[in-house]
Amino acid sequence: MYMYLPIALTSVNYFVVIGLGLSVGLLSGLFGVGGGFLMTPLLMMIGIPPTIAAATDANQIVAASASGTFAHWRLGNVDVKMGVYLLVGGFLGGAVGVQVIKLLRATGGADFLIKMTYVVMLGLVGSFMFVESIHAMRKKKVASAAPAAQTKVAAPAKKRNGFFASLPLQVYFEKSGVTHSALVPLFLGTFVGVLAAIMGVGGGFLMVPVMVYMLRMPMHVVVGTSLFQILFTCIEVTFLQAYSNRTVDFFLALLLLFGSVFGAQIGTVLGKKLHGDQLKILLAILVLAVTVKIVLELVLQPSLLLAYAGGH
Amino acid sequence: MKLSLLTVVTRWTAVAAAFCGLLALNAPAAQAITCEVTPREIPITLSYHGAKLTITGQTAPDDDLILKISSESHDTAMKYYGKVGGLVWMKKGGLEFKDVPGVYLVNTTKDLNLILSETERNQYQLGYDAMAKATKIEDDKGRPAERKWFDEFTRFKEKEMIYNIQQGTITRQHGEKGNTFEIVVNWPYQAPPGIYNIDLLAVNNGKVVDKAATTFEVKRVGIIAALSKMAVDQAALYGIMSVLIALAAGTAVGAIFKKGGGSH
Repeated sequence: MYMYLPIALTSVNYFVVIGLGLSVGLLSGLFGVGGGFLMTPLLMMIGIPPTIAAATDANQIVAASASGTFAHWRLGNVDVKMGVYLLVGGFLGGAVGVQVIKLLRATGGADFLIKMTYVVMLGLVGSFMFVESIHAMRKKKVASAAPAAQTKVAAPAKKRNGFFASLPLQVYFEKSGVTHSALVPLFLGTFVGVLAAIMGVGGGFLMVPVMVYMLRMPMHVVVGTSLFQILFTCIEVTFLQAYSNRTVDFFLALLLLFGSVFGAQIGTVLGKKLHGDQLKILLAILVLAVTVKIVLELVLQPSLLLAYAGGH
Repeated sequence: MKLSLLTVVTRWTAVAAAFCGLLALNAPAAQAITCEVTPREIPITLSYHGAKLTITGQTAPDDDLILKISSESHDTAMKYYGKVGGLVWMKKGGLEFKDVPGVYLVNTTKDLNLILSETERNQYQLGYDAMAKATKIEDDKGRPAERKWFDEFTRFKEKEMIYNIQQGTITRQHGEKGNTFEIVVNWPYQAPPGIYNIDLLAVNNGKVVDKAATTFEVKRVGIIAALSKMAVDQAALYGIMSVLIALAAGTAVGAIFKKGGGSH
């Protein structure tokens, strides 16, 4: 029933860890998020040290996102061109974000800023997605009552913003059916990369709303493309963490990925059965629930007033 | 006849020695204290989830016993939580606990404070109060921190199962085999690999009257040892292996689902 983890130096129950992997993998396949913002605290709850939890989580996300990307790619849901632009931006942003954090740590108050960024970003993204999805679903109900108006409702989604259209290097992204300047996904990728580095997360839950609302990509392509981007980000993170910090626990990652790869496939199948707006509402609820959890952690006194140095 | 002073002293010394010898014959034979641990080596295998340690030995019948299991002392860096802006709980800064053991498990026959004087407790570092007196705690700027942080530290370690003080856990037997004791310790899997010291102290009238010591080792073996070594000595290869296996697992499961028609 138990497996000893050689790097985390602790023993864990097989079923608990595989179950965690399955649950978070399901969310990953369903929403196109890596799930790091859920998995790392869950691993810490079962006694894994914070630095090892975060690094090993990146390792298991490689498996889950590879599995999810593969499934979405077969369904034609991965916009590789858009993914590459976002990825390049993400790498740049990550490098900038790491420097920002270094500066903040030197001046003090970095932890406060990280937590506050987390709460504000999650709260804003979750609330916006929730309200927007409810609004869109109501619109559709009205549209289905008057079928003649339906084609007119779909049209504004494809309408291009005047400022974005005036930018140079315009590129047509066939898979998403949108045209943008190459600078737009590069800039947005950098923006998410900076925030992700500050918050210490992969950034999937930020990238998904950016692709939906700013790049106007269809929800199913968003999920596949987000997983594609997360896959490459986590490959880089896993290698660097193993090489520089020796914090990747291979056995823990194996148990997690055993659950998460199956979870990702189940999530993809489930996601196919749900409408785009339904997916958005579910993701919004998840993001808001995590926000509430973080707020409660901030205002309630912790049961232990000490923690090992290292990690957030 | 006059006796020299030297002769008088020699005679009286001989008488005193003979008297002491008679007294020694009437007193019960003092029992040598012993302490043995089984097993001497705990292997950390893939299925390791802690172990059972049996510690046995012989002691004098009237003495109380204190058994301390501890690891080497070293400085431990921690972060502490505090309220920021009177509203939110955050990690506010760091504390360094100087020269504290990583593992500290104490078992006694009776309440430690009743069987051993404060002076002796301090000398042998027995009990949290004695440890607190000997432990320096410094904040990020090297200033001494309050005692309450030592209490928090022991609470933290107790939750990790690697600090504990228990009384009445040592079983005594007085029979044909002499005056023996036994204690079975549930060795916590949270305790890291290393060499651990067992100190057995016999106590009478509030003082330590005899002691014995032994050691045991908790050691990584097999695949656990090989992987730990690889993570340190061949970190790049370890990182590449972790990525490749994750990629292979992800795509293999994707292919299995395709064959099963799961996603279509």
